[in-house]
Amino acid sequence: MRLIRFGKSSPPGFLSFIRYMSNVIPQENEEYTATPQYPPILDLSYKETVKRKAEKEYNEIKYVKTVEEKQIKLNMPRYYGFKNFMFYEPEILCESLPLTQHVTRTHIITNKDLPEYYENLNVENVEDISKDVQEVILMEVERIKKSHKLKNLKLTEVEVENILSKSIVNGINRVLMSHLSHTHEHIKNIEVDVEPRLEASWVVGGINPDERLKKIRKGHTFFKQFENDPIDRYFGYIGSPMLALRASRPLPFIMSSSEAENPDLEVPFYKYDPRSVGTRIEHRHLANVPGFWPGDANTFGTLSYIKTGHFLKRDTYFIEESEKKEARHVQAILSSYAWLYSQANYLGFTTFNDITYPIVNQTVMTNGKDFQFYIYQLNTILLNNYHISNNPKRNICWASQQLKLYEEIKDDKLIGFNEDVVKLLVKLYINEPQERLGVNLRPYLSDEEQIAADYSDDDKRKWLEKEYKHIVSNRPRHKEMDEVYQWEKIYKIDFNTRPMDKKMRFFELFEKPWKRRLNDRLPEYICRARRPHLPRHKGRYAKDYWP
Amino acid sequence: MSTRWYPIYQRGSPQLRIFLPNFWMKLIKPTVDQPSNLVNFACSMEMTRFDMKNYLEKIYNVKPIHIRTRIASGKCRRDPGKGYIVKNDDIKYAYVTLPRGEVFEFPDIFPNIKEQEKEYEKTLKQSKQVFDQFLEKNKERREMPGWFTF
Repeated sequence: MRLIRFGKSSPPGFLSFIRYMSNVIPQENEEYTATPQYPPILDLSYKETVKRKAEKEYNEIKYVKTVEEKQIKLNMPRYYGFKNFMFYEPEILCESLPLTQHVTRTHIITNKDLPEYYENLNVENVEDISKDVQEVILMEVERIKKSHKLKNLKLTEVEVENILSKSIVNGINRVLMSHLSHTHEHIKNIEVDVEPRLEASWVVGGINPDERLKKIRKGHTFFKQFENDPIDRYFGYIGSPMLALRASRPLPFIMSSSEAENPDLEVPFYKYDPRSVGTRIEHRHLANVPGFWPGDANTFGTLSYIKTGHFLKRDTYFIEESEKKEARHVQAILSSYAWLYSQANYLGFTTFNDITYPIVNQTVMTNGKDFQFYIYQLNTILLNNYHISNNPKRNICWASQQLKLYEEIKDDKLIGFNEDVVKLLVKLYINEPQERLGVNLRPYLSDEEQIAADYSDDDKRKWLEKEYKHIVSNRPRHKEMDEVYQWEKIYKIDFNTRPMDKKMRFFELFEKPWKRRLNDRLPEYICRARRPHLPRHKGRYAKDYWP
Repeated sequence: MSTRWYPIYQRGSPQLRIFLPNFWMKLIKPTVDQPSNLVNFACSMEMTRFDMKNYLEKIYNVKPIHIRTRIASGKCRRDPGKGYIVKNDDIKYAYVTLPRGEVFEFPDIFPNIKEQEKEYEKTLKQSKQVFDQFLEKNKERREMPGWFTF
């Protein structure tokens, strides 16, 4: 049946009018070009497709507006957190320097003291400072020794050492700040954190797959060819320096980016499973905390003091001098990298989007008596599987020798006081943070809103704050991840001895709880009394603001 | 010292001269790629890290810089006759780190086994060929008694 019937009764010229109306609209010439333009021809192989998909995701993270949202977005794939290979500050693993260097892409340069750059900083008269430093050390050592409180606490040797070095470092910092702030204006604006929380987590590729994954790949007709392909691993660091100083501007870099691409700066490639040196695995969210929250004005770290108490215990087991030396390098590299990396996260860079300019920090490893100086320049944080083998940039760590501030304390006097160490310390303090001219410090953050607090929407601000802090706290979920009980593994999975049991458990229903996504949950419930006057079934859930 | 029960000495019987210790360490071939200065052992369950260190240092003059241990659960299997599930004993594994630069390669315990296998396969192939030739010759005399074959 026709929709419209034209008959003799239809008015004259009606058909021609319809024909006129249904003519093709004349195309504008702009759509055509002289030479045909085709979309790019994509490589449709499996590996390239996966790579393109991953890069699309990395780009999505890049264009997220604020710091908090970026961190939430990083965590989106996992509700229960990622499998992290953990580094803890006081637990330095045996033979872990090659792994540490690979994981942070660090080249070590060992000097007698500081790198050449510091020769330009003039330090003349430090007599007054030395005098005060000596006084502070004597006073703090005496105070700790006589402290009745500490005597009653039954502390271990390591704890006592840490308490002592903490108080000495605090004293030295106080002396230096008060002396130097008269002559150096920038020291007045420096912020001091006492034992800040330092956490970082990042992705590193180029590591061999483990036995389990290999077995899975081997059993699959298609994935058999990728059996030995390297994979991405998540690494986490948890530590706490004794003292950290921050400024609003970055320290001047020591080596230019092009110099840092020099292939002579060797970085070992550690392809083995990180468990080969004994790293532990934990399920954790990717938390990057440099000791302050986003929005703080002083986002660039300048100097941190790290403790060495744990070496007292470690050095009894590891007797070789080279092993002891390497362990110190490991601690300094991890601490410096983690601090700079988490700062970079607050500037809008992530483990998938590389930093666009180098950042530098200075680390002093001390127990109050022995001082070792480390300068670390972060050039790259892009270490995932697609980039680890072809990323030309390397991070550089300059390590000094261990220097003694004094030999011993005899009759309330410091014997063999080394003024050079004080001079080096002063150099670290007077190294002035400077404006980076012509560099956008936060290129991947929006111009209007750089942190969640910049949003004018109250609800969104509160929601983001709550969600961000919850992820970063790494508190376990209220309902923990489903687990397979031992008896189930034996009698249900490995051997089918209970075929008549009702299939109720997740592994019988082909569910994978570890693959649950972060936003795979109901929004917050609003109780009836707090809802606006709407029908009963409406307005039950609060709004979500997932990035 | 051993905690085994040895036969009590009776006058006249041959005197037992070998006392086996409780402590033993068995080299294990690693299943995954690992640094060349890492060596895997399966050990007796009673040994601690310090025991292992002493064992290697005093008996074999090997000086490890670090030892890690773990206890792996034994595998379950079905009892072949009865059909119920039984569990193997747990095993203690030790990961011994040697000083940097030292290389340990797991020895090839059966170096000639591949050649032997090859030879075996060769003879198998030959005998198969002979049998095929025999069948080919006698394909007209199918299902005849052997007396009629070539």
